[in-house]
Amino acid sequence: MTAIMDEFKAEVSRLAGEEFLTCIQCGTCSASCPTASLMDPSIRGLIKLCLEGKREQALHNETLWLCTSCLLCTVRCPRGIRPKAVVSALKEIAERGEAAKSLPADAAYERLFLKQIGDYGRIAELSLTGEFLLAYPQGMVQSMQVGLELFPRGKIGLEIDRIEGRDEVKRLIEELR
Amino acid sequence: MKLAYYPGCVSASTGKEMDASTRAVCAALSIELEELDDWNCCGATHVSNELVATGLSARNMAMTDLPIMTACSICYSNLRSAAERLREAETLDKVNALLDKKYSGATIRHALDVILEALAEKDERIVLPLRDLKVAPYYGCLLTRPRGVDSPEFPTLIEKLIRRLSAQPVDFPFKTLCCGGPIFMPRQEAAEEIAFKILSEAKRAGAEVIVTVCPLCHLMLDAKQKAIEQRRGEQIGIPVLYVTQLAGIALGLGPEELGLFMNSVSPLPLVEKAYERMTETE
Repeated sequence: MTAIMDEFKAEVSRLAGEEFLTCIQCGTCSASCPTASLMDPSIRGLIKLCLEGKREQALHNETLWLCTSCLLCTVRCPRGIRPKAVVSALKEIAERGEAAKSLPADAAYERLFLKQIGDYGRIAELSLTGEFLLAYPQGMVQSMQVGLELFPRGKIGLEIDRIEGRDEVKRLIEELR
Repeated sequence: MKLAYYPGCVSASTGKEMDASTRAVCAALSIELEELDDWNCCGATHVSNELVATGLSARNMAMTDLPIMTACSICYSNLRSAAERLREAETLDKVNALLDKKYSGATIRHALDVILEALAEKDERIVLPLRDLKVAPYYGCLLTRPRGVDSPEFPTLIEKLIRRLSAQPVDFPFKTLCCGGPIFMPRQEAAEEIAFKILSEAKRAGAEVIVTVCPLCHLMLDAKQKAIEQRRGEQIGIPVLYVTQLAGIALGLGPEELGLFMNSVSPLPLVEKAYERMTETE
């Protein structure tokens, strides 16, 4: 048990920086977060779960997917911890794990996003959105609305830009992950 | 002055007017832009593995010896974060082992600060001073984060540009509140809630226009404004311009060059008003 707990903490600290182990639970991160009111656990609570080695609870919650990556927690933390990096580390561990298929739609979006970068080198928003909607049709109404707004203004790129250095980009993604 | 230019993926889609106005304004200010050859996506806010994100940015930064300019705050923040991480020898070695062209340091600039630097006080190239135009400076999150550019809590760079164009910045407490954009795809309601706060606060502050430095902020506040109005049952109707578009208007560039027809809430009445005000004072 302790071994699993330590392994998890070590993995988070490898990905997000070992300073997270020095968290004093002051809550500055939660108080700064634009989506705090929707989160359970809070960002502070999430870090506590990591410190306590509660792997499952830390990896499977809505909080991870409500982070907007705004970095306000990160510029404010009095301990120099990067709470957003802890969130990213947990997402990464969750996405790599065996339970990845049971993660919410947000994880599918991230997976498709990275796959596009690997395949083309750039993001083609139209095909990304299309692929995402196949996996998550609930987003259809919103996407149609945005699409109807953008299309007449010529702001939907219809072509996929494929860069020359696709192999290099793919190598970066595969080897660094 | 010559800079390398990193347009970012949105330059081919939702951010076309950001790209067009950036190129037009730089040309007007004699800033030569050389687009990075074969650039790749920076990962935006959707690549959770930091090392991968660092590698993606390193490839872009290794392509040139010139300072690199981008108009997108997300790309900007990612390039800066990567440059910071690449100061660690271990990270640098891992990344360079995989790159065709090796990374050896980079200077990253945002179009906002490049334009601000190029424009003198009472610059004679400002042919349409935006006198009395009330502008809400909206920074969003990533222009000033991570630390190292202006204050991440109370930045003033956009206000400086607004004043230099003879317009008036309004006091806007939500100027650094995140727009919710990065999670809007799967989390529509949460994201729209935040965007609505920003829009209504800008209006309450008396702004005639909001300026942004990020294509995702722009999408949330401009392209989604009508949908947000419908869902909230409240009319807002405030144009949202990129800082490059606002600067371009003051420099007398045309609506086509600045992509003003691509904005959802039309900024054209504002431009007419600015011309009217100018002729009145003459």
